[in-house]
Amino acid sequence: MSIVTVQLGQCGNQIGFEVFDALLSDSHSSQGLCCKRENEAYQASCKERFFSEEENGVPIARAVLVDMEPKVINQTLSKAAQSGRWKYGQHACFCQKQGSGNNWAYGYSVHGPRHEESIMNLIRKEVEKCDSVSGFFIIMSMAGGTGSGIGAFVTQNLQDQYSNSLKMNQIIWPYGTGEVIVQNYNSILTLSHLYRSSDALLVHENDAVHKICAKLMNIKQISFSDINQVLAHQLGSVFQPTYSAESSFHYRRNPLGIDWHVRPPLSGPPSLSKMSLNKDLHFNTSIANLVILRGKDVQSADVEGFKDPALYTSWLPVNAFNVWKTQRAFSKYEKSAVLVSNSQFLVKPLDMIVGKAWNMFASKAYIHQYTKFGIEEEDFLDSFTSLEQVVASYCNL
Amino acid sequence: MRRRRVDPAAGARAGALPEAIAALSRSLPSGPRPEIFRRAKFDRPEATSALWQLLFRVLSPLPAGNALASIALEVQARLVKSALCSQGYPRLALAQLPEDGSQGSRELLLALSWLLARGPVPEQMLAQTRVPLGDEMTVCQCEALASLVPPAPHMEAEGPVDVRHVQWLMGKLRFRWRQLVSSQQEQCALLSKIHLYTRGCHSDQNLGHLSVTEAEMLRDPEGGQKLLRTLERESRRLEAVLAWRRAEPVFWQWMDTVLGTCAPEAPAAASQPTFLPWVPECGDGELELVVRELQTLEEELREAVERRRVAWEAKARGCGRGPEWSAARRASRETVEKELGALQRCWEQESGPAPAHGPHRLVRREDGAAGDRDLRAAELIRTLRSQEACLEAVLRQLQGQCRQELARLAGALPGLIWILPPGR
Repeated sequence: MSIVTVQLGQCGNQIGFEVFDALLSDSHSSQGLCCKRENEAYQASCKERFFSEEENGVPIARAVLVDMEPKVINQTLSKAAQSGRWKYGQHACFCQKQGSGNNWAYGYSVHGPRHEESIMNLIRKEVEKCDSVSGFFIIMSMAGGTGSGIGAFVTQNLQDQYSNSLKMNQIIWPYGTGEVIVQNYNSILTLSHLYRSSDALLVHENDAVHKICAKLMNIKQISFSDINQVLAHQLGSVFQPTYSAESSFHYRRNPLGIDWHVRPPLSGPPSLSKMSLNKDLHFNTSIANLVILRGKDVQSADVEGFKDPALYTSWLPVNAFNVWKTQRAFSKYEKSAVLVSNSQFLVKPLDMIVGKAWNMFASKAYIHQYTKFGIEEEDFLDSFTSLEQVVASYCNL
Repeated sequence: MRRRRVDPAAGARAGALPEAIAALSRSLPSGPRPEIFRRAKFDRPEATSALWQLLFRVLSPLPAGNALASIALEVQARLVKSALCSQGYPRLALAQLPEDGSQGSRELLLALSWLLARGPVPEQMLAQTRVPLGDEMTVCQCEALASLVPPAPHMEAEGPVDVRHVQWLMGKLRFRWRQLVSSQQEQCALLSKIHLYTRGCHSDQNLGHLSVTEAEMLRDPEGGQKLLRTLERESRRLEAVLAWRRAEPVFWQWMDTVLGTCAPEAPAAASQPTFLPWVPECGDGELELVVRELQTLEEELREAVERRRVAWEAKARGCGRGPEWSAARRASRETVEKELGALQRCWEQESGPAPAHGPHRLVRREDGAAGDRDLRAAELIRTLRSQEACLEAVLRQLQGQCRQELARLAGALPGLIWILPPGR
């Protein structure tokens, strides 16, 4: 089962490149710590999911690249081709000559409809190349102009045209002290639209990843490239093949088979050793948690701590906790663990963004930039309502 | 139970009866030894459990598998009783049999022969377990509608159910549904590939390409041997069925004698209330009391219904004649007729000749040359699409009604703002 990735905007394209790179280099890594047959099954599974084969054997990423300006896309294409190990499809990208100046409304109401047919055609071609599509993986930022506006539009289109496929949006939560003035507006508009058309929102906070780079990895001058590589590492360790409890004889066919009900925030960095539980028990209530363990001693790993009912909501009769394991080590780490959690973790940041956006909205600041392109005040109010509902549902877990 | 008219000459041949019973036993899946049948005639207890299991196998709509084997005898017996009752089995003695398999083999034998007399049981069982050589799919909905799953034990809701839990379950259900759909799409894509790649490989010109089973046979000779053995088994069952049909009259003659050895049944009164198969263990005297009480209750209810009906008619007669009443009735009748007509037209529009029932083999052809009895995929798709459109229209209408109802409820409480969840 294959995943088609849609990379949107500067953020989406840069991260997308790092993700494919991480996936492929892990797949080819020689230090898998497992037997040859296991390794081959792993490689085959990874390949089928994310890459298609070409005649000369260089894997081509199953991806569509979209941006309103050509610079980042060209950089991404050339970086991939330079690696020699993989590349993007020749005709898999769509770009225009102009940007959209961080204007969500322009992206959603103008760029989106104008280029809808071309973009959806590209996606359709990618889908037709797959034997079966398990879903779409859409990488975008939440607060920029191009990525977020067009991303919301494209996700909606995917919902209409491929209603039976799963869609997971990878969204980048902006820095709290970001540079774009209207980032909060963009964020709430993006989130409320995605909430309606996406199946799962996987969130990475720039602030959190920044901290990982600074504290855990001791990088002095943190660049976007560093941040993106950490992100890619986390995503890679989620998406690479694993065994789940039900089918322990072959790798899970559907990597997007995560039972999300409402959107899942991502919490927890990948640790270099076994995951240790030092959480305050009443800090965070979860709807569902997924732990992915890779590497040595996974069979004997103790995950009982994750099953503590105090961590979960009361209205779920059975704990929604899953463990996926594989002996095959990821990216040269002897042991690694990832926690994907659908919990109250993002309530506070979300509340903050909604609060800030509301304050701006109350004074009608910058609204004309949106109404100019068809996003009316009513749409803002709808967005606020949806997000308040989300915050309320999570608070009442 | 009616007695069948049989040709007395047919039973004249010696050894005809054991042959007939043996054929019957071979033609049924997991058929018991012929000895069991003979013992059952004399109501021997050791024949009981085998007959319960055979009846369960015949009446259960699920295909045989390990799951069936692990069901306890009591559960099987209970399911058999309820299935027979729902099919209208007339003898009350069966419902009163103990479920532990300790007695009643003759009664079970009678039940089996009742089923055999009603319909082609061995043939039906054979059809259930046939091995399809081609890639098949069914077009009609009959199989899906006919499979009556044994009723699940009634689940009592313990107190109010949290709506979030229900939402969660709905989400899981929707998720599984979409996984199913994408798996089916994958299967279709792969079938298409196999059919395309194996063009020209089939010895039968009409088919032209291999099916999955046939391709597997070529790829894996050992699997092919297994398939051959399965087909041989099926063939033997088919021969047994044919033998059974030839020897059947002898069997019915013999069953007459079995019926003769039973005690005469109490005449089934027309007004007797229907019994549930689950009858609590109590003495005969108590049972009669209960019967009498139920009969009196039934009488009382009937009188009460009569009284109510008379009263209503008197009332309705009064107001049923006014001009607005008849106008309203006419209007509603017209609407219903219009709706019904539209629905019927919708369904019959594109269907043309109704597609045959049962599974059909998928064959991929380049040219448009299809035989008279062949169904074209394009036509079937068109029919299904129009049916889908009809159902969607009905769904939208019902959703609209729900929305109106919600709006009415929301309007009934002023000062309360209802925020509906983002629609999907």
